[in-house]
Amino acid sequence: MYRKFFASVLILMVLMAALTGCNSSASAPKETTDNTAVKKTGEKITVAAAADLALAFKEIGDLYEQTTGNEAEITFSSSGTAREQIANGAPYDVYASANIKYVDDLIAQDKIIADSKELYAIGRVGAATLVSSPLQIKEASDLLKPEFKKIAIANPDHAPYGVAAKEALESMGLWDKLKDKMVYGKDIQDVLTMVKTGNVEAGLISLSVVNKNEVNFLLFDDKLHKPLKQAIAVVKGTQHEKAAREFIKFVNGEQGREIMKKYGFVLPGEV
Amino acid sequence: MDNINLFPLFLSFRVAFTATFIGIVCGLPLAYLLSRRPGRLSDFIDTLTNLPVVLPPTVLGYYLLVLLGRNSWPGKFLEEQFNIMIVFTTTGAVIAATVVSIPYMIKASKAALSEINEDYLNAARLLGRTELNIFVTIMVPIAWRGIISGITMSFARALGDFGTTLMVAGSIPDKTLTMPIAIYDSLQAGNYNMANFLVLIMTSVAVAVLYIVNRLEKKMKKG
Repeated sequence: MYRKFFASVLILMVLMAALTGCNSSASAPKETTDNTAVKKTGEKITVAAAADLALAFKEIGDLYEQTTGNEAEITFSSSGTAREQIANGAPYDVYASANIKYVDDLIAQDKIIADSKELYAIGRVGAATLVSSPLQIKEASDLLKPEFKKIAIANPDHAPYGVAAKEALESMGLWDKLKDKMVYGKDIQDVLTMVKTGNVEAGLISLSVVNKNEVNFLLFDDKLHKPLKQAIAVVKGTQHEKAAREFIKFVNGEQGREIMKKYGFVLPGEV
Repeated sequence: MDNINLFPLFLSFRVAFTATFIGIVCGLPLAYLLSRRPGRLSDFIDTLTNLPVVLPPTVLGYYLLVLLGRNSWPGKFLEEQFNIMIVFTTTGAVIAATVVSIPYMIKASKAALSEINEDYLNAARLLGRTELNIFVTIMVPIAWRGIISGITMSFARALGDFGTTLMVAGSIPDKTLTMPIAIYDSLQAGNYNMANFLVLIMTSVAVAVLYIVNRLEKKMKKG
């Protein structure tokens, strides 16, 4: 009886491995956890960060740990999700939103230490296609071509980059013509996954998550949408207020700003 | 109660009914075979059919995306030959709902069918009844409570699926936005009216389903 069970499990595992192995073009989203060699002696803070920060904040987090000895555990999700969680008492120390309005909402609900709020970036949005795809975008109106059957967008009802992408397409008079091709993702990471797995021909994402080896990117003019002001703040009730404020200072400090710039963010004071 | 769009409600019920129907058509014969043909192959199929219960919905969704997505062999073939797309459509939502819900149908039906005394069936065979006739006229009437319990549970599971459906069908408003995803989106967008309304419906359905299943199980125990 047990032998049968174990044999079944073994066969299943082999099947699954074969299944995922056969499809190298659609690799599962990978979670990378870098174990830095630095001995962490300081405090551990948890950061709820917007999905567009996935690349920049991973790097900032590592550097912050190396520099301060504190540990930053960063969770990336849709800004709306994080806002909802914090409003309901999620024990984060820092909230880095892709939309300043969400931070203000939480201040109004007395869930954020108001004087800790700082602007840290202004986002840029555009359209991405796979490098390996025969379809490329020279201008936004190329998306109207029938070859572009499906286009992914972060949900414009609540995802800041989805809102901005929709505004930009509306400004160009394209939204109504493209509406029926749109597929909604939770956030831009979701959109990126749809692009990478080849399930959509194009995706509307932030400049900050563009990996030039994977996707070609057409940046939309930032005059076409309301500025994507991104704000960061300390969550009320944190046990690590000092370390949380230090993290914000680090993001807006020389090293943090350099990394943010590298990933295509416009920085406060540069506009 | 403004800004309440009822589309996700209707779509969810449509998807759940379709998935349940497919579950009955495919799941019931499978449950019959599993209950009557013990063996290695049977155990293997049984394990396979139970996989969706233990695998996280997102993992299932990912498998379906890989197997049926636009880059997969069947996905490419259907799109190139017939211009049919499975992902990001209601078909995708139905497939997702079927995959997550069919194990409940199979499990409950198999349990009920397994308990039927073989003597009844042998007597019918001696009288020259065909296997199909025996299944429809003897087995189903005896095991109906277990089967209904499976159908109800599988309907509830199909109605409530979030992760798998989200990955396979997306969340396109007025196209593939099902109730659980609409609840999530409404909360994100701060539309609490819509969220509360849909949560209330989902909860009512869940309570009703559990009540029905409990009543049937009690009756089954009493015989």
